[in-house]
Amino acid sequence: MAITRRSFVAGTATAVAAAGYASGASAQAGGDTIRIAFAARGNRTLDPAASIQGADNWSITHIHDVLVTSPPGRFAEKPSEFVPQLAKSWEMSPDARTWTFQLREGVQFHKGYGEMTSEDVVFSIDRARDPKQGGGNRSLYENIAEVKANGKYTVVVTLRQPDPLFIGGTIQDYSCVIMSKKATLEKGENIGRDPIGTGAYEFVSLDPDPSKGIMMTANPKWFGGAPPTKNLHVMYILDTTARTLALLSGTVHMIEGVRAPGWTQSIQQKNPNMQFDVAAPGSLFTMHFNMSRKPLDDVRVRRAFAYAIDRDAIAKAMAPISRRTWGLNAPSFPGGLTADSLPPELRYPFDPAKAKALLAEAGFPNGFSMDAYTSQREDYKSVMLIVQELMRKVGVNINLQVIDHTTFHANNRKDMNTIPQNSSAYPPVPALPLGDNLAKSSEVKPDGSGGTNYSHYGVLIPGIDELLDQAGDEPDFEKRIAIIQKAERKVLEDVPLIPISTNGYLIVRDPKVKLGYEVKSGYAFWPLSKATIS
Amino acid sequence: MGRTIARRLVDAIPTLLLVLTLVFVAMRILPGDPALAVLGEHATQAQLAEFRRKIGLDLPMWQQYLSFIVNSATFNFGNSFANNFSVSQLVRLNLPYTVELTIAATIIGTVIAIPVGVASAVNRGKAIDSGSRVFSLIGYAVPDFFLGAVLLIVFALNFGWFPINGGGDGFADRMWHLALPALALGLIKAAFVSRLTRSSLLEVARKDYVRTARAKGASERRVIYLHALRNALLPVITGLGLSILSTLSGSVAIELIFGRPGLGSMLVGAIETRDYPVIQAGIVVFSLFVVLVNLAMDIIYTLVDPRVGDVA
Repeated sequence: MAITRRSFVAGTATAVAAAGYASGASAQAGGDTIRIAFAARGNRTLDPAASIQGADNWSITHIHDVLVTSPPGRFAEKPSEFVPQLAKSWEMSPDARTWTFQLREGVQFHKGYGEMTSEDVVFSIDRARDPKQGGGNRSLYENIAEVKANGKYTVVVTLRQPDPLFIGGTIQDYSCVIMSKKATLEKGENIGRDPIGTGAYEFVSLDPDPSKGIMMTANPKWFGGAPPTKNLHVMYILDTTARTLALLSGTVHMIEGVRAPGWTQSIQQKNPNMQFDVAAPGSLFTMHFNMSRKPLDDVRVRRAFAYAIDRDAIAKAMAPISRRTWGLNAPSFPGGLTADSLPPELRYPFDPAKAKALLAEAGFPNGFSMDAYTSQREDYKSVMLIVQELMRKVGVNINLQVIDHTTFHANNRKDMNTIPQNSSAYPPVPALPLGDNLAKSSEVKPDGSGGTNYSHYGVLIPGIDELLDQAGDEPDFEKRIAIIQKAERKVLEDVPLIPISTNGYLIVRDPKVKLGYEVKSGYAFWPLSKATIS
Repeated sequence: MGRTIARRLVDAIPTLLLVLTLVFVAMRILPGDPALAVLGEHATQAQLAEFRRKIGLDLPMWQQYLSFIVNSATFNFGNSFANNFSVSQLVRLNLPYTVELTIAATIIGTVIAIPVGVASAVNRGKAIDSGSRVFSLIGYAVPDFFLGAVLLIVFALNFGWFPINGGGDGFADRMWHLALPALALGLIKAAFVSRLTRSSLLEVARKDYVRTARAKGASERRVIYLHALRNALLPVITGLGLSILSTLSGSVAIELIFGRPGLGSMLVGAIETRDYPVIQAGIVVFSLFVVLVNLAMDIIYTLVDPRVGDVA
């Protein structure tokens, strides 16, 4: 692995800090404020309908509330596990097309913007699904036909297709938090820098200086009870070394971790008491085969890749954040495949001999060379360097170029990569990753006007769209899952992509901060509304 | 003097125009779509198109170029694509941190370098000279970001004497936050400038007028500091000017390690997200800096050696 400036400094920091940490870490953070630092250059927006940066969603979800959410620290895996937030109850029609939400009464928006009512809910959902908004989760709203208020405290959402998982996919998403209609109309574009919600914390300030970041203060009138910690301070410290030192010195209490081999171990060496909160499954890392390019059009070659890549070893190298995955849906998600649920021929265990045999059968007894590129982002680069080495062992020489993240995605979207990779976090909505990555309608186009189906699956090998349509029309939860699993097995047979691993989202926490629950799964943010600091 | 300054400023206009044109072309040639960088890889085509329309990327290239030049000339850079903050506000936030870091590093570098360089030249071949050479060698060999990380770990993390990150608020707090980054850059600068001072002073010490001053019975101190050093400083000033410019553009790593705001990290972040308005503002400010630093060097030249002013 190449030594970069950043890894060099990080390594040095690890060594020197490990030697000297015990002698003098000074706790600078106060007892009434939890400080948390993210790996980003600064806040982009606090407008939920426009946010695409994960770090900003921590603030968005503390300032605002959703109607219904998962239990703290984990995804609800069954419809019965969801917990009320701004909606005190909800009901799905038998055909799973109509959802009715009864709102909590008397919930007040921050800063005197009045009571939250159905008008605000309709406004917020309509705004989130407006195609002119720049948010990253637009596809979650495409199934909504209409949102209507029925009195002051009832909202009815009508869907185009049945969706028994509507709450898990759309309603609990950060982009579907409830904003004050009055404040949003009054503030216009400025709402992204002065948001008004009903959440556990009220927005105080946003400084363009990333080291000052966002200040929030506890909302004493929050429907869930006043948060025990008075202030929440969100900071942005991009550099890994700086962020790590900020945690070790006590300047901040929580930092976003790094998804790279060895990083968590280095922190554990420095301070074994640090807590590692990992929200699994996190991002699904997939490696796609551009089937319009030779020799990747040959399924034997693609299967050779699947046998040659030791996905358990990759997960181990990225421990503790990474988990081996078998399908596009994480094993912990509804319908997620596991080794036991698959026939042996679709498990693709690590078997270099079988990979070589398949390559020979495809006409490449001595392997071949191919060009590809990956992103300089740590998680992409780490995984792909391991893949490159594993493929070299079976005779496939990948000339891997590491390029900047923006260029990487732009080139992928123009069909320029041979083995594009993707790392995306999905909610537990089983059809979503299949639709995004493999449906005909998402096919990548050379002019950049296509989607993220980089393999051209569904076009070069048809069949997936029919299964996705069937699943979309099926109102019954269990039957829908069965169809999705059938689609997943078809994908494993055709190998248009390899689901490599899921990489959980990692926060390292000073043990002085107690969350009040254990983080097991969920989105890349979790509530600090009950967190205390000693 | 006034005419010289005015002429230099007028001379800078074509340079700035060329730089702006190169930036415009480079940003368009660079792979990566700003719309995709801002909206993310899951953005729909409708969202991407709407974003391009909103920021004018759908206009013909000549129109984009004209508005780019006019906006740059009037310092009207609009809002950042990435966070919608006014670019002027971002520049106003970051610029003082970069300026104070550059000035502090230059002062530290100069205060250390010139006495060390003089002592080294005066004591050529002796222990003090060897020590100075070792200092310079280390300064040349150690990258500023590494030195920054070591200072941070030792003095901020372990001793807790300095803050870990940020730029600070208010004069005293800012100076406290500035100390370690400025020391890291200043020490590296001192290594370079002290070598320059030493070699320049040794060169001048061989000149006839220095020999004449000694022959006339002037004290060694007077010979060195009044006759030799003044003339030896001319190349040092040139070197210092270049090192100020390299500090301006090269402080990115230090800003990142110390979590400081600054123009360098602002510009790098903007390039990553293809944030055109911030990039163009950053480049304009950097170009102006280059012009101003060169101008300042010319003025100092004139003060040190009035003959240079006559030529200019």
